[in-house]
Amino acid sequence: MLNALSIVAEPAGRYVHWGVVLISLTNLLVIVAMIIVFILALVVPFGSGKKQTDERERRQP
Amino acid sequence: MTTRTRSLGPDDTSEAGNWTAGVRSRIVGLVPEGQALPDRQPVYVASWIYVFGVLTLAALGVVIVSGGLLAIGGVAWWHVSSLGLFVNSLHLWSVELFFAFMVVHLWGKFWMAAWRGGRALTWITGMVLFISSIGTAFTGYLSQANFASQWISAEAKDGLNSIGVGAYFNVLNPGQMLLWHVVLLPFAVGAITVAHVILVRRHGVVPPIDAADPSIESGA
Repeated sequence: MLNALSIVAEPAGRYVHWGVVLISLTNLLVIVAMIIVFILALVVPFGSGKKQTDERERRQP
Repeated sequence: MTTRTRSLGPDDTSEAGNWTAGVRSRIVGLVPEGQALPDRQPVYVASWIYVFGVLTLAALGVVIVSGGLLAIGGVAWWHVSSLGLFVNSLHLWSVELFFAFMVVHLWGKFWMAAWRGGRALTWITGMVLFISSIGTAFTGYLSQANFASQWISAEAKDGLNSIGVGAYFNVLNPGQMLLWHVVLLPFAVGAITVAHVILVRRHGVVPPIDAADPSIESGA
């Protein structure tokens, strides 16, 4: 009976507890992934812009 | 008897009090000529950080279409049908991407100080849009027709009562929340999105802090 109750009372997911901050591991990973995407968006070169400009200039001499 | 002959072409706006002509000229003047759907942008726009606004719009499109399909089947459809479950998942994950793209877009614009160059209203409509979207998503959680939606609505009721707004609407009323989710709040989000995009097209995308603003240089 106690075992059954402990299963019911078991919290869903894993949590990271740091001072006043309590966040589920899943949510923390999503936030970290978004920060990585943000940094990549700043540093990864945007390849096609120059090429499109060149093609346009070729078409309009 | 003399007959007045006067050409009334589509561009004739000389009729005093002609509200149709007035509305037309207002619509035409919303954005500078050629800026409604521009095919050229300043060179600094060639950066991935400028892509997240349109990614947010694309995700919103999937949210609206999948939400429309869910409306055909009804709130219980996804509980009894694998197709309904698929469409519900499409709706959920497009919302997740919508928020992820919007927040990266927000970070980019915040660190660019995107309210510069007369773009304060663009920034403000973006912020209002973010808050409206959160409300729309929360009412979606209340429309799942399961125990999770019951639990969330009971918790939300306590929170909303504690800040003094509980008398104006009832999150424990699933009918009211469903109508807010599928009519009222999407209309608000849609209208503010249109205003936000028009403002972006009107003032142009914000340049990086160390780049020259073409709209200021040209006096536009």
